[in-house]
Amino acid sequence: MIVRNAAIGVIQSALAAVEDERQYINDLNVYPVPDGDTGTNLALTVRAVVEELEQSELTNIPSVAAAVTKGSLMGARGNSGVILSQIVRGICEVWGQADSLDTAVFKRAVTEGQAAAYRAVKEPVEGTMLTVIREMATAAQGVPDSLGLEHLLAAVEEAGRVAVENTTAQLPALQKAGVVDAGGYGLLVLFRGLAAGIEDLMRGGRVAVGARLAGRAVGEMVGGALSGVRTAAGGSRRVTVDELSELSAFRYCTSFLITGQAIDREALEAFVLPLGDSALVVGDEGTVKVHVHVNDPGAVLSEALKYGAISDVEINDMHAQTRQRDERLGPTSAPEIGEGGAVVVAVVAGEGNRQLFRDLGCHAIVDGGQSMNPSAAQLLAAVEELGVQEVVVLPNNGNVILTAEQAAGMSSLNIAVVPSRSIPSGLAAMIAFDPAEDAVGNARLMQDAIVDVRYAEVTHAVRDSELDGVEVRQGQAMGIVDGRLVAAADDIGTAFSGVLEEFARGDAEYITVLTALNGSGTTRETLEELAARVAPDAEVSFHEGGQPLYPILASAE
Amino acid sequence: MTDLLTLENTAIVCDSTSDAPGGFFDRDGLYMVPLKVHFGDETFRDGVDMTYQEFFARLEASEVLPTTSQPTAGEFTTVYKEARARYEHVFSLHISGEMSGTVRSAEQAAEQFDNVHVYDLRTVTTALSLATERLRARLEVGCTLDEAQAYLRHFADHSSLLIHAATLEYLRRGGRIGRAASLVGGVFDIKPLITKQDGTLVGYAKVRGLKKAMAAMERFVEENSKPDDELYFCIIDAVNDVEPSLIREMIERHRPNSHFAFQGHVGAVVGTHIGPGTAAFAMIAE
Repeated sequence: MIVRNAAIGVIQSALAAVEDERQYINDLNVYPVPDGDTGTNLALTVRAVVEELEQSELTNIPSVAAAVTKGSLMGARGNSGVILSQIVRGICEVWGQADSLDTAVFKRAVTEGQAAAYRAVKEPVEGTMLTVIREMATAAQGVPDSLGLEHLLAAVEEAGRVAVENTTAQLPALQKAGVVDAGGYGLLVLFRGLAAGIEDLMRGGRVAVGARLAGRAVGEMVGGALSGVRTAAGGSRRVTVDELSELSAFRYCTSFLITGQAIDREALEAFVLPLGDSALVVGDEGTVKVHVHVNDPGAVLSEALKYGAISDVEINDMHAQTRQRDERLGPTSAPEIGEGGAVVVAVVAGEGNRQLFRDLGCHAIVDGGQSMNPSAAQLLAAVEELGVQEVVVLPNNGNVILTAEQAAGMSSLNIAVVPSRSIPSGLAAMIAFDPAEDAVGNARLMQDAIVDVRYAEVTHAVRDSELDGVEVRQGQAMGIVDGRLVAAADDIGTAFSGVLEEFARGDAEYITVLTALNGSGTTRETLEELAARVAPDAEVSFHEGGQPLYPILASAE
Repeated sequence: MTDLLTLENTAIVCDSTSDAPGGFFDRDGLYMVPLKVHFGDETFRDGVDMTYQEFFARLEASEVLPTTSQPTAGEFTTVYKEARARYEHVFSLHISGEMSGTVRSAEQAAEQFDNVHVYDLRTVTTALSLATERLRARLEVGCTLDEAQAYLRHFADHSSLLIHAATLEYLRRGGRIGRAASLVGGVFDIKPLITKQDGTLVGYAKVRGLKKAMAAMERFVEENSKPDDELYFCIIDAVNDVEPSLIREMIERHRPNSHFAFQGHVGAVVGTHIGPGTAAFAMIAE
């Protein structure tokens, strides 16, 4: 258990370092696709390793090393995460056969890590995390075995730092954006956290504190040395986007896990390679991780089924992610923060909705949505990023209210959670926001503003069921008001009519409708006509919300 | 000496930010000094060279926001000279000194004359024409100088004004937003309600939709007058024909002793700073 606990401590230190810099690493991400998720992918990959170890009761180095390899492979997310999993695999292959971790072992381990990463990538590109791990491995070879591990760690880290700085000049995409490579920088942050963890362990000290400091220090070193990475007041760095990024040729980042027996990894790789780019097919006979950018994820999944069972399927629309990153980092006039006044952090899904919140003066937005509720740690990170004492959080989802309250409890800041259960309710609350008021004062104003607001959604049923006395068949459109099913119909419009009737029964004066009608079979014009007919006494205001899964979100006041 | 001030011996001068209805200043004893609106190189006298419809058509079409300028002391001197030639007393009633330098030009000009009484009424737009109208009502029956002065002080301290602006864009672009700055306007169909306080415009409420706006206006009337007040009020609009009648109906319903004075239109100078789609009302309890 000692080895396991030590490994958990060290990896947690690395995880803390990446978590600290996650958003910044996301912002740096322009290559190969500016989808702004490298930091998140790396963090989730490392988190999977910690979780794998925590579930185990391993006692010796080989079994711990195997668990680390497995966790990183199973949990690998995105291009950078999968490449990281291969670096980890190489390192663990060496470490797993050693009986301790000294300078000689570490040198061989990092070299094997580098080799494994290069093996996985069919067309290696310089100026990426591959370059950074190679420079680190090269530097390691220059350190005599007789020197202590701390000297090796320092040399490797310094080589990594220089390599990261050089990435800007190595890749035109990075140069154009004036950033260092996100994956390379993420790897450096990770390594620094890891090294701090190891050093703390050697000193017998606590691990987490050192990691946080290390993470910050590396950020200052690299960030401060770069043009294009502006060092704003208070030491926060900000990446900016001046023009819309080019969209990738292949739209969907597709990754999944195959489990089976005697999986022919090379055959699958040969199938996947011509379909897209950034292809990584890694693992062993029993477990293979596939990551590829393609236009037809279905083709890859269908083929994969021939090799075994698939799981952990993740498909991201990189065009949408790219636009979100552009939006997040584009020229904006951030709302000013009043003296002693509060800021607002809102959990929002949908680009149109995010823009509405920003227009209304919301200071930070955490991506949300039915299937991707943020964790308390993510919320807290967004809150603390603002560096303001008084904070109002709008969860905008019944399932996030508790998370937000947990986040509030974890922080020393004055965080007030306004229990908004839907995005339109959150917008109604936002209207009442007064930048001169503190968190508690605003929470009262905003709570008052939404107490009489009814909220509704129209979505499709995922299975047959009977709810609130209404029978629904799978695929039917459901109109839900205040969490209660009021209508089920074959088309969105009819379900929306049911919502409007319910609103009209409650003497709604002002109805807000946030739409995401692409592919829903109805149009805004149709809905506007419906509203005029079904709720003639109400003023109805339509906005393009762009939220996933819900063609319509609405509220009535 | 108990000289009675009457329409025969007393004139009233106002500026064009009073946004008075057409013909208001055509009556004997009333003078209007225009501020100016500049569209690029072109200059127009507010309320003189352009109708309010022409102004708003031009404002919407114009890529550059027009600028405005106050009358010069010389322009006031000319008007005071003319008024004093026919009238013994002149009351000169103006837009808040916090919003415009107009009242300072007037004070400067007034120094050259006896019996020209300049007032900073601490407000703007239709409230100025309401003050003019109510002072004129006193002159109609005759009042003392003290009574007239006391009334104008009462007006400066106790009149109220509520503006329902379609957007804050014009206020913001013109840099005249004062403490209304905390309001979000125009976004998400929010229309701010703006009132005046200490001579500047400040936010009163943020509302979406006419019903919410009317509810907030009712609240404003409740807060700023008493049920049995003899309440005089006037309304202005700028390219908005539904709201003024609703406002009038609402005030008359809530204040049985209220007296509707007139309905004016937002002129070019106020329009430059508040924008199209505005309605407003001013009231004073007497």
